[in-house]
Amino acid sequence: MTMPLENLLFYGVLGLYFGAMLLYFLFVAVKKETIGRVALWVQVLGLVLHTAAIVLRGVAAGRLPLTNQYEFASAFSWGLCLVSLIFVLRFKFTLLGAFAAPVIFLIIGYAAMQSKEIHELMPALQSNWLGFHVSTAIIAYGAFGVSFVLGIIFLLRERMKGSGFLDQHIPSREKLDMLSYRSVSLGLLFLTLTIVTGAIWAERAWGSYWSWDPKETWSLVTWLVYAVYLHLRIRRGWQGKSAAVFAVVGFVCVIFTYIGVNTLLPGVHSYK
Amino acid sequence: MGFAIGLLVVLAAACVGASFVTQGQSAAWYEQVYGAGAARLILGTGLDDAFHSWWFLTLTAFLCGNLLLCNLTRLKPLIARTRREADPAAALAGPCDRSAEGVADPLPLFERLRLPKPKACESEGRRALFSGKNRLGLWGPWVCHLGILLLILGFTLGQLTHREWTVYGVPGDTKPIGDTGYFLTIDDFEVQLREDDTVSQYVAGVTVFRDPQGSTTVPDSLSATVSVNHPARLYGFKVYQNSTGYAARVSVDEAGTPLQTQVVCAGEGIEIADAPGLRVFLNAFYPDFYLEPGVGPRTRSGRMDNPAYLYSITYRDQMVGMNYWQEAEDPITVNDYSIVFSEPQSYTLLQVKADRFQGLALLGGLVTMLGLLLAFYLLPVRAWAVEQADGTWTVFGQSRKGGALFREAFDRAVKGE
Ligand code: HEM
Repeated sequence: MTMPLENLLFYGVLGLYFGAMLLYFLFVAVKKETIGRVALWVQVLGLVLHTAAIVLRGVAAGRLPLTNQYEFASAFSWGLCLVSLIFVLRFKFTLLGAFAAPVIFLIIGYAAMQSKEIHELMPALQSNWLGFHVSTAIIAYGAFGVSFVLGIIFLLRERMKGSGFLDQHIPSREKLDMLSYRSVSLGLLFLTLTIVTGAIWAERAWGSYWSWDPKETWSLVTWLVYAVYLHLRIRRGWQGKSAAVFAVVGFVCVIFTYIGVNTLLPGVHSYK
Repeated sequence: MGFAIGLLVVLAAACVGASFVTQGQSAAWYEQVYGAGAARLILGTGLDDAFHSWWFLTLTAFLCGNLLLCNLTRLKPLIARTRREADPAAALAGPCDRSAEGVADPLPLFERLRLPKPKACESEGRRALFSGKNRLGLWGPWVCHLGILLLILGFTLGQLTHREWTVYGVPGDTKPIGDTGYFLTIDDFEVQLREDDTVSQYVAGVTVFRDPQGSTTVPDSLSATVSVNHPARLYGFKVYQNSTGYAARVSVDEAGTPLQTQVVCAGEGIEIADAPGLRVFLNAFYPDFYLEPGVGPRTRSGRMDNPAYLYSITYRDQMVGMNYWQEAEDPITVNDYSIVFSEPQSYTLLQVKADRFQGLALLGGLVTMLGLLLAFYLLPVRAWAVEQADGTWTVFGQSRKGGALFREAFDRAVKGE
């Protein structure tokens, strides 16, 4: 079963995210504040419609729409859009939106390539714990996406010659590092929740809460990488650049855990 | 700390390495898949069972030792710091992150920093005010590390002591749970289908009871319904609905008179009572049978539309024959014996587990999360104000982990935002 209305909304959202991305690029190119603001509100509109599409699908399926590659990819881009918008609005950091927009578009683009069929769930997937597990993963991944973007901005800032526009729109090194720390903290807290709720679900569904399945192992790797990030930050002299590198590496692990494990490594998480 | 960071990096790298090698296969399997040289390397280094290898366990032991030492040595300084954090004298004598001079009334500034009502104190004979919050946040890393230790402890003890059994059968079967002296009866089992033939749930009714030891009284027993995602705990055993398969009744007649009959699961067989060494196996069952040319027997759905049994007959472990059979056909005959299959049904495979340390691991996970919450969301903040000779106040703010964001918040509070 597919849903024509949800489908329509989804492609509308895809278009809005794409439009927001182009507007953000234009904002950076012509350095006009108004364009940045329009880009931001196009993205907000995209997020609102995206929420509607997800809710609609959930209602049609009679469950949380978070159980296959399409649903999760769509929710992942939703989470990243949400967390990045929170950071953009709270810290008045429009340029963060510009850097996040291509990542959001890539992820929703990946969702667009997946099958949108609504399937009935196999018994192992019928669990409230699975709902908690995946919802927390979306926030964690969204927050890590933001710290990835902040890491990239941090590393680029080192190379970019100061211009009035960039100095005005990119916070100081120290503040960037602090924002990255805030997003990694949010991400790590939610990743820990994801792992704990996932373990509870695995125990109930398969009788074993941790079996070193590749997806589990990679979520542990991601967790360890962000733990390294935290400890690097509290070492004198290691804040900033090396922490930023780990924030980038951490998100590469997130993406590998999400896509690489399913396609390259075998395990119980790769439901086809 | 450098050592800890190195350890975390090496642990992560070890996990990455292990995730790329399929775990727990035979030597022959590795040779076939990876080639002789790589297989030798994998088996020699224990990469085939990486998470139980000596090097992985050593790394984990170092991690635990490090965490334990770290938490032990930090306990006293942490208690001292927590006390100091609330001590106005210590704050007034120490450094600050931000200050503002010439403040007419400091009280609203404390409010805007969302600090509790400040306490009056004194600094070198001048009036002073002090307030602080979120001292508990100082304990975040300590609690987080404790949680990780509990988690690893619970997991390791569980791995060392847990016991696990598989029990399978059809309704009516009673099977021992290993050598525990307990038995499990499968009261009923149902495969619930949706309209589109997909499985919505596997539901088994089970009863666990102690070995009656020949007593005639009904043994104490506990019953429960288990399904996927809904295990049940009975006498310290946790029973999980794990898997299913087909079973059927096999009946043997000898020269027209019934000889024996028994329900067997797919893959199982019986030995014919009168003919030692002669066995009949039910290899597979197809509820909605059809023959796919060039492939063999298949089933279209899970519905009982056109059932067929794939069976085999062996004599002293030598294959005598193998074929599929349907109920409309004549009985299968071997010597004087005629064999039929009937009553196709689903059997359930239950997993029975006893892990006393699962709760400890869960507690560890929850404590770790609590620690992270304290470390990240209870940022200790202090502010104090000292009255100057001209009647204005100088206000100081300090937050060790607040960094640039705290300084901005302080400046906003000073500006009255
Ligand atoms: C070898 C093992 C480890 C050692 C020796 C270690 C040691 C430390 C030390 C000394 C601190 C500083 C504490 C302070 O500033 O009061 C710290 C902070 C912290 N550690 Fe660990 N740690 C280890 C593993 C981990 C792991 C695996 C995690 C998992 C996430 C973790 C989470 C944290 C957190 C959240 C902080 C606070 C960081 C912050 O607030 O910015 N630690 N650790």
